[in-house]
Amino acid sequence: MTVHDAFPLPDVSWEPTAEFWAGAARGELRIPHCARCGRASWYPRERCRTCEHTEFAWRTMSGRGTLFSWVVVTHAFLPHFAELVPFVPGLVALDEDPAVRLATRIVDVDPDTLTFDLPLQVTFRPLSFAGVDGAVPAPLFAPA
Amino acid sequence: MPAPDRDWGWATDYDDVSGAVAVCGVGESDHTKASGRTATEIVIQAAERAIADAGLTPADIDGLMYSQFGGRLDGNDFHAHFGTRHDLWESHAGGGTRQAATAPYEAAAALRSGQARYILNTFGVAWATQRSQMVGGPGESHAQERFKQNLEVPFGWFPQPVYFATVARRHMHEFGTTQEQLGAVAVACRRHANHTPAAVMHDRPLSMDQYLASRPIVAPFRREDCCLISDGGGAYIMTTPERARDLRTPLIEVAGVGLGNSVTGVHWAEQPAFTSTPQVFAAPVAFRMAGIAPGDVDVYTCYDPFTIHTIMQIEDSGFCEKGDGGRFVADGGLDFDTGRLPTNTHGGLLSHAYVLGIAHVVEVVRQLRGEAGAQVPGATIGVYGGYTGPQAATLVLRRV
Repeated sequence: MTVHDAFPLPDVSWEPTAEFWAGAARGELRIPHCARCGRASWYPRERCRTCEHTEFAWRTMSGRGTLFSWVVVTHAFLPHFAELVPFVPGLVALDEDPAVRLATRIVDVDPDTLTFDLPLQVTFRPLSFAGVDGAVPAPLFAPA
Repeated sequence: MPAPDRDWGWATDYDDVSGAVAVCGVGESDHTKASGRTATEIVIQAAERAIADAGLTPADIDGLMYSQFGGRLDGNDFHAHFGTRHDLWESHAGGGTRQAATAPYEAAAALRSGQARYILNTFGVAWATQRSQMVGGPGESHAQERFKQNLEVPFGWFPQPVYFATVARRHMHEFGTTQEQLGAVAVACRRHANHTPAAVMHDRPLSMDQYLASRPIVAPFRREDCCLISDGGGAYIMTTPERARDLRTPLIEVAGVGLGNSVTGVHWAEQPAFTSTPQVFAAPVAFRMAGIAPGDVDVYTCYDPFTIHTIMQIEDSGFCEKGDGGRFVADGGLDFDTGRLPTNTHGGLLSHAYVLGIAHVVEVVRQLRGEAGAQVPGATIGVYGGYTGPQAATLVLRRV
């Protein structure tokens, strides 16, 4: 499989998402917005999907959102995740623009108590995986 | 309930090819768990069987279609295996997934122009064998995609069972779809596989009680909500209806084809219509071309990597209202003998074989000929719904 050396950690140097990860290292949730129409653009793309503009400004978000959907993983699909199961990946809709859905992990909660639209708050935690050097601070979400 | 958002995709502009193409031969390889075979060996076996089924010889085949993804039979492999020497028209617009539905559209132009007379479309995988060797498999192309590497994989939102269990849970929330309704898809497919001797899960019955008692692997999905990983492949041969009339098999013609596209590609988190598939764009085109309504369809096969895909495609193709798919599939709604819409009558990707849709087209042809294991009596109109995520396609076949 041809992936970068840190996989499944992110490649924090990859330009389109570098500011997202640099922000996470500072404890900030950073999302690009179209410099013309102001709409959040997620995932980061070369063109604004609303107005086709090609310049973006990254903004720091409040880190508040709601639970859009989630799963409870009890089978490790990658060997790197074996020590993590059970865990709860999910999609969080950001309060400033619910069309922005972040893929993330829901933490500090019993999965059986999760409900749709549950208010969540970002929390920055280091990600690390067995057999992979390093740790990368990442935006996870916990009940607000 | 959110209104369907039509801004997330489009239908490809297709010319009318209704009646321009016939499917005159079909074949499948043996479908197995890890077998040690190569994908090329698998595809050759399927091709030999399709050529024999049509009553043709390898020298008659003058067109090859395949995709650059997965196993294929290209010109070099064809001649090396069959010992033939003749010109072959070749196209990469064939293979499995949604291309198993749209290959006939591409073939129509080559048949019309005379570039080819008998076109063989092939697809196969050796993913069960490769998985035991820790290479390949359905997650590989996703792991290589850089937005996924940087925005999904680190959080464990990966691979496909995780994406689509997330979709399924949201569908359950928006529309009241239940665990039992997901299970109804798995149980129907297993029942059909038990009428289909070639199916990988033949002789492995599955009851609703067994389904509900099984442990989730990525809740709300159980293992039975997820497709098999298997070695296998399929092939079908296309020609003009005029030539097909002279062959040994009943005339099965292409009545309609449609292709739908999503702007969000393989990043499902971005898709505004999170619980829909691009069949909302594809199916109306194919049904209009065929001059039919969804209610005219006798037998349906759809690309079913997970139970939720059958429910969503049934809705998105117009067999029921959006959101009613769970109720539609419940209580035997997909059964070949008593169902509302006999669906994946060979067992689908869930219980027949994970050959990415090529066997779904083979099954539709067999149903329309009256040769299927779980035969729908008198089936004359059959539909295959192909799906890749970024695209979906609908193929309408008709017994003439």
